[in-house]
Amino acid sequence: MSTESTASKQCSSLLLRKYTMKQTNAVDPELCKRIHPVNRTIETILAATGIITIGVTIAIVFILGEESINFFKHVSLSQFLTTFEWQPHIEKFGIWPLLNATITTSMSGMLVALPIGFFSAVFLAEYASNAIKRKIKPVLEILAGIPTVVFGYFALNFITPFLQLVFGKAVSVYNTASAGIAIGILLVPLVASLIEEALSAVPRHLREAAYAVGATKLEVTLGIVVPSALSGIIATILLALSRAFGETMIVAIAAGAGPAFTLNPFKSAETMTGHMARIAGGDLPYDSIDYQSLFAIALFLFFITFFLNLLGRSISKRYMEHYE
Amino acid sequence: MKKRTILVLFSIIALTLLFAQAKFAFITAKSDDKDKMLPGIDPSKVTGTIVTAGSSTVYPLSEAIASMFKKDGFTGLITIDSIGSGAGFDRFCKTGETDISNASVQIKQSQIDAARAIGRNPIEFRVGTDALAVVVSKKNTFIANATVQELAKIFSTAEKWSDVNPKWPAQPIKRFIPGTDSGTFSYFVEHVFNKKADPLLAAKNLQLSEDDNVLVRGIENDPYAIGFFGFAYYTENQKSLKALSIEGVAPGQTTVDNGTYPLARPLFLYSDVKIMNEKPQVAAFILYYLTYVNDVIKKVGYFPAPASALKQAKQNWLDAVKGRY
Repeated sequence: MSTESTASKQCSSLLLRKYTMKQTNAVDPELCKRIHPVNRTIETILAATGIITIGVTIAIVFILGEESINFFKHVSLSQFLTTFEWQPHIEKFGIWPLLNATITTSMSGMLVALPIGFFSAVFLAEYASNAIKRKIKPVLEILAGIPTVVFGYFALNFITPFLQLVFGKAVSVYNTASAGIAIGILLVPLVASLIEEALSAVPRHLREAAYAVGATKLEVTLGIVVPSALSGIIATILLALSRAFGETMIVAIAAGAGPAFTLNPFKSAETMTGHMARIAGGDLPYDSIDYQSLFAIALFLFFITFFLNLLGRSISKRYMEHYE
Repeated sequence: MKKRTILVLFSIIALTLLFAQAKFAFITAKSDDKDKMLPGIDPSKVTGTIVTAGSSTVYPLSEAIASMFKKDGFTGLITIDSIGSGAGFDRFCKTGETDISNASVQIKQSQIDAARAIGRNPIEFRVGTDALAVVVSKKNTFIANATVQELAKIFSTAEKWSDVNPKWPAQPIKRFIPGTDSGTFSYFVEHVFNKKADPLLAAKNLQLSEDDNVLVRGIENDPYAIGFFGFAYYTENQKSLKALSIEGVAPGQTTVDNGTYPLARPLFLYSDVKIMNEKPQVAAFILYYLTYVNDVIKKVGYFPAPASALKQAKQNWLDAVKGRY
């Protein structure tokens, strides 16, 4: 950026100079006055949109926090975090069955999405010709455009019967594995396109240097390009993970409708989001402890995804490669 | 907040005064009421919105009536939310969002008090009777009858079928039951568990849903699954489900009529005098409901209310709209 602006400084029109002057903080009062009013308006609008997003986030955290405080007046944090039964109607508030189901569905989703997404990204970025790329990318985009409710019924009506065919009676009608696999399919386009971007961003001269010393295509891809794009790949994984944690419709339809603490992915269990959707959609007596418990779950989920995002940022910063 | 309430109250009073003398336009001379109590009704003469919510058991019945009501000329909008009787009462009595509350359980005193606090006085309309069906899959070959005591075990502490009866297979029991705020849930808890929900909710392999189709889906292909819900959902899925006899009595018209089926229960609509007079479409819908409910109730899968109860409901309607026709 800075090299560009020094270059343009030397041979620029008045307009261009105005911008470069502003960037280098050299204030020329005469030029400042002449800024077109439209520019100001647009600047204000842009700033306002930014403030709106921040404002909405703050409002959500505030509302979640407010109701959660009411909830934690009745239920101790230790009960919430260390007991293993969730049944608000009879005052059992242990988050683990819900958290465990969320982890199960997300992890099975990641098990599906990561390999498929990663290898298709490698293929698209390194191996595919432009003609093939042009054909495959729209298909991935179609997959990304399918509503999650469709994935939910796909899990219930196709994946579950398939699992039952393969693994027999051990698979319940509603089970976390089928929901997880559907989440995985949902995440493939996201993972593939983000990793592909990361791989494509690796500068060409790194590849050429490797070829020059006699590396094969596979060696270049796995030994040079993938490690160089590691920060982007890790960021993608964490982004996909927080998306999987938050996925609601698929698990509400296919994973089950009762909190259950089980490590068996073929059994029914309800995730945090699925539980919120079911309780909020149906039996919601206002300002009861059941109602407040939903906010506590939501806040807990918010902290998890927030933590994942922070982790993603710090990791990707740490592994970030600077090329210029 | 207070100011707003006062304002709303004033406008309600003003509206009541305004409409107090006006006659309902939808009333006609020719009535189809078999008890000859109610006036005739022409749905095309009213319009507007009718907001109803509550029991998932009453839902299919209300839906059937609503579609007839529309076919007969009603051009407004009717919403029927299937959210469970308890949640329905919350919306009717506490937040005052609905015009009619559907319920498969009688309103509680605490709910009546809550409604009075927001200026509503619930009126009850008995519209039918449901035989709560305890169902298993057609693929289940070992159980056809259960005592209430056995039910209590099946739906609580027993982990495997053999824990209840040694003749039954040593397979885990998978339970599919309506959500905790549905009338069906409270009814079951009241009659099988002496009003204590804890044993039922502490059971393993428990799935709860306000959507009875979710339950049907869970049970229909699993020989070791069991559940319960309104009789209509059983009627609808007879091909894949089997309803158990309770204490040797199978659910059906005769056993419901003579009171021998242990899990028969009333179905209700609740509304309020003020709402019915301010929103003629609500009064019209209830009138239509009471006039034609017995024509469709069997097809939907429930049983007609006792004649005296239905007459009482009709009398309640007449009292609520006195002077309006």
